[in-house]
Amino acid sequence: MSIANSDTTTYPNNSSSTFLNTNLVENANSQVSLNPATALEKYKKKDSSKVVVRFRAIGNAPILKQNFYKITASNKFQAVIQFLRKELNYKTSDPLFLYINSAFSPAPDEIVANLHKCFSTDQHLIINYCTSAAWG
Amino acid sequence: MTAPQNPITRAIWDGALPIKLSLDTTEAAALGAKTIIEPYFIEAPRCSYFPLLTSQLRKYFGDMMLNFIGDDAEIWYDVDGTPLKHYPIGLLYDLHTGYRPDSNSPPPLPWPVTVHFKDFPADKLIRAQAIDATQDFFMNGSTKKVMNLSKNDQTQLWDGLWSKNYDRFWSVNYRLVMNDGQMPRHIPLRIYLPDNCPVLQEPVSPLDDNNGNPLTLGDVLHQILPELFPSSLPSENSFAAPVIHGVIPQLDMPIVWASQNLCYPDNFLHIVVLLGI
Repeated sequence: MSIANSDTTTYPNNSSSTFLNTNLVENANSQVSLNPATALEKYKKKDSSKVVVRFRAIGNAPILKQNFYKITASNKFQAVIQFLRKELNYKTSDPLFLYINSAFSPAPDEIVANLHKCFSTDQHLIINYCTSAAWG
Repeated sequence: MTAPQNPITRAIWDGALPIKLSLDTTEAAALGAKTIIEPYFIEAPRCSYFPLLTSQLRKYFGDMMLNFIGDDAEIWYDVDGTPLKHYPIGLLYDLHTGYRPDSNSPPPLPWPVTVHFKDFPADKLIRAQAIDATQDFFMNGSTKKVMNLSKNDQTQLWDGLWSKNYDRFWSVNYRLVMNDGQMPRHIPLRIYLPDNCPVLQEPVSPLDDNNGNPLTLGDVLHQILPELFPSSLPSENSFAAPVIHGVIPQLDMPIVWASQNLCYPDNFLHIVVLLGI
């Protein structure tokens, strides 16, 4: 079986597989293991890379001196909320709402890496914050 | 109002799980239980959420003379010591039991779940639940569609889910899922792996960038998880299997079809990946 545009790299255990996507060459070249446990290790590893988040105040929310920060991608969104609260000197009882792209408020247990992959604009994850509910 | 006929979404909507809900034993004693408290058995819709069962449970355990006076938001659930998140019930079952529908052993039913009335694990669970508009943003790059639903339609979506009324829910949701006949920009999808791996959520295009052909479920799994799905064809994926609504779907279905027909009520395609058999 062969598919147009496919490369001819093969897995050690299967000489007939071809791939739809040329960017998969990389995966094929690295040691591909068919052992479930080792295959899973890769996905268990925490993403230690950093992503840029940009904060934008809305309404009467105080603005920050610096409005963009680098944050570790494997953090949960909860960490972003706590960080912003600290920067603003807000107590847990003070109302603070965070949104992405002026559209929705992610669950605190969402992973920042996922949000960045899905919703970033020019590599920046734009987070709007305000002291009363605005969207969603 | 009736929803467009679709036997697939109907069957998924009607999917239910027998659950055995037991009160945590030390809590039962603290709440004044003098004898052993019988568990509560319920057949819960796979697409529903545990907080929607809470009022029934309160009544049942209240009738047992347990004097619990706290708020509903204090009630939480666990399986084998792991607190259950705010996911749909069917997804939690697939995720926590890790039961492969193609295995020879019988499914672990009724599913044993422990109920807690106190000591909410605030570090592990989120108390308040917001209905989010993420899925619409995902598909269109804006939340316009969900935000533009009339108040009436929004209420009907929620009511339909709450009262298990298929027609009420799907007559509104159909418009969201079909996206006015436009091909969505991305497919709202989340992948759950075993062993506490972080949840995967990536922008997945419904079409192949190179030739515009529809991508299949197998293509998408192969793209995102090349180690677990070394091929997009079923015969070559021996140890990993995707499970959606307790079923192993065929890998050759177009991902856009899967999204429109097999999504949960939040319109996300939640895929649990299980290994081995």
